[in-house]
Amino acid sequence: MKNQIPAYRLTHIRHYYGDTKVLDIDRLDIGTGSITGLIGPNGSGKTTLLKLLAFADRPCSGIIMYKGKRAEPFSPLIRSKVTLLTQKPYLLRRSVFDNIAYGLKIRQNTENIESEIKTALSAVGLSYRKFAHRRHHELSGGEAQRVALAARLVLKPEVLLLDEPVASVDLKSAQLIRQAAIAARETWGTTLVIASHDLAWLSSICDTQISIFKGRIFNAGMENIITGPFEYKHPGTTVKMLENGQAIRLKAPADKKTASFALIKKSHIKLTSEKRPCTTGSGHINTLQGRITSMLLEKKTGYITAGIAVSNISFVVRLTPEKIHTMNLYPGKKIVLEFSPGHAVWF
Amino acid sequence: MDFIAAGFVKAVKLLVSGDISTWTAVFATLKVSTCSMLLSLGAGLPCGFVLGYFDFRGKNHVRTILDTMLALPTVFIGLAVYAFISRQGPLGSMGLLFTLTGIAAGQTILAFPIVAAITASTIEGIDEDLKLTLTSLGAGRRDIIATCLWEVRFGILAAAVTAYGRVLTEVGISMMVGGNIKYHTRTITTAIALETNKGLFADGIALGIVLIFIAFAVNLSLSFLRKQ
Repeated sequence: MKNQIPAYRLTHIRHYYGDTKVLDIDRLDIGTGSITGLIGPNGSGKTTLLKLLAFADRPCSGIIMYKGKRAEPFSPLIRSKVTLLTQKPYLLRRSVFDNIAYGLKIRQNTENIESEIKTALSAVGLSYRKFAHRRHHELSGGEAQRVALAARLVLKPEVLLLDEPVASVDLKSAQLIRQAAIAARETWGTTLVIASHDLAWLSSICDTQISIFKGRIFNAGMENIITGPFEYKHPGTTVKMLENGQAIRLKAPADKKTASFALIKKSHIKLTSEKRPCTTGSGHINTLQGRITSMLLEKKTGYITAGIAVSNISFVVRLTPEKIHTMNLYPGKKIVLEFSPGHAVWF
Repeated sequence: MDFIAAGFVKAVKLLVSGDISTWTAVFATLKVSTCSMLLSLGAGLPCGFVLGYFDFRGKNHVRTILDTMLALPTVFIGLAVYAFISRQGPLGSMGLLFTLTGIAAGQTILAFPIVAAITASTIEGIDEDLKLTLTSLGAGRRDIIATCLWEVRFGILAAAVTAYGRVLTEVGISMMVGGNIKYHTRTITTAIALETNKGLFADGIALGIVLIFIAFAVNLSLSFLRKQ
């Protein structure tokens, strides 16, 4: 029953930098012991959300509950339980050993410190003998990232938040970081929230994915976001012209002034092999020609998320393995997407 | 050029033979500079930290005043301190005029803005990721402050060395407040000025060598600490 209390419950979170709203989350639950992927373009609010989850910052309004209790920065409830690895890890100007020992010393947990540090370094694939006494500036980017992760793992955290952990590391380091993160969940039941642009890496580790765009959360993972400029030529509809001459017709927003982007759920997009007339018996249907650019297997469900480039816009569609087989889909294949203008949800 | 070479030779003799007037000036300099540095560090470091670490109303104004104080001429400080501690001045009863304590007070005023301003700039330059990292490693507010100070320790040392260099080489305050009294308030710089005026280059050079040696020793210590 304990697992039914989410590690985090965020309600009515609004956060601003100056006058700019950077987070607008009505409700978000993150399950205890889950691995949640956070995807979204640069500037969408991922890092800000992670800072709030790390209690390194306070939201301008709204409530963050940690394991059923309201938590604040520096409160004993979360201090020493939640830890964040930033995108650009900051290593203290001291040795690798002292960097990893820092958190343990803060907690006055210095018993068996050497063996704890050995274990943490080994979890990220670094040799204690070779690395423990190196200075912070004697490490490569990937090694620094792994030392920073070891400094978090040694704390056996309840929550580990990773911000772009594989953004600037090689394939081997990315695999080691993945293994270490999974081991943390399996060994200590750690809850992980990982922000990354590497969708393949993220899909290989996460139970669930949530996407974030302009501070808004979409729980179903990656969705199709269509941003302006939009043309309002006909009443009730709006058109987004693509660079290759194709056009996307959408149901017009209720308020043109406040609407900044439209969302088309991936479940509303169909794939066909041939382009059909745009108008059917039920009205206009968008038919767009594109090319499959990627296919990612969802570890938990077995579904495949296909990325499709349509001119300068990237769409995602969720497909069953059977559908892939039947339509003989593969990266590079030309394909047609269909969706109704009425499925546009405006934000 | 011969008089310079001869001056060097005589300078070494004066130092080695333990010439009283030379060494009293050296000790007076070390005494006042150490005293003023301790005072200015004691006041300047906390002020610089508060100014660099916290945001508060009027911070920019305080910063502007501090930056202006960086350019205070030593003769002006000397004049101001003289006015305060002379017999007619508000602190005249303390009898600080023409004493080493008076010089130290003036030099503290000289060094304080240097220590405070450089410390504030150093603290302001702390990487935001450092505070975030420390918070995420479970550090409390005190731990964060202590670790931040430790991380920028060389910047703070640089503030101290810069201020020490200024204090060690100033003439205006020592001359005006100290009065350049032989065996009493004569410092290295006032002695050099006097001996050169008298044409005694050797004495001036001897004291100059000591001054350079002190500056070199301070920087050498800093370099050693950096390597540690």
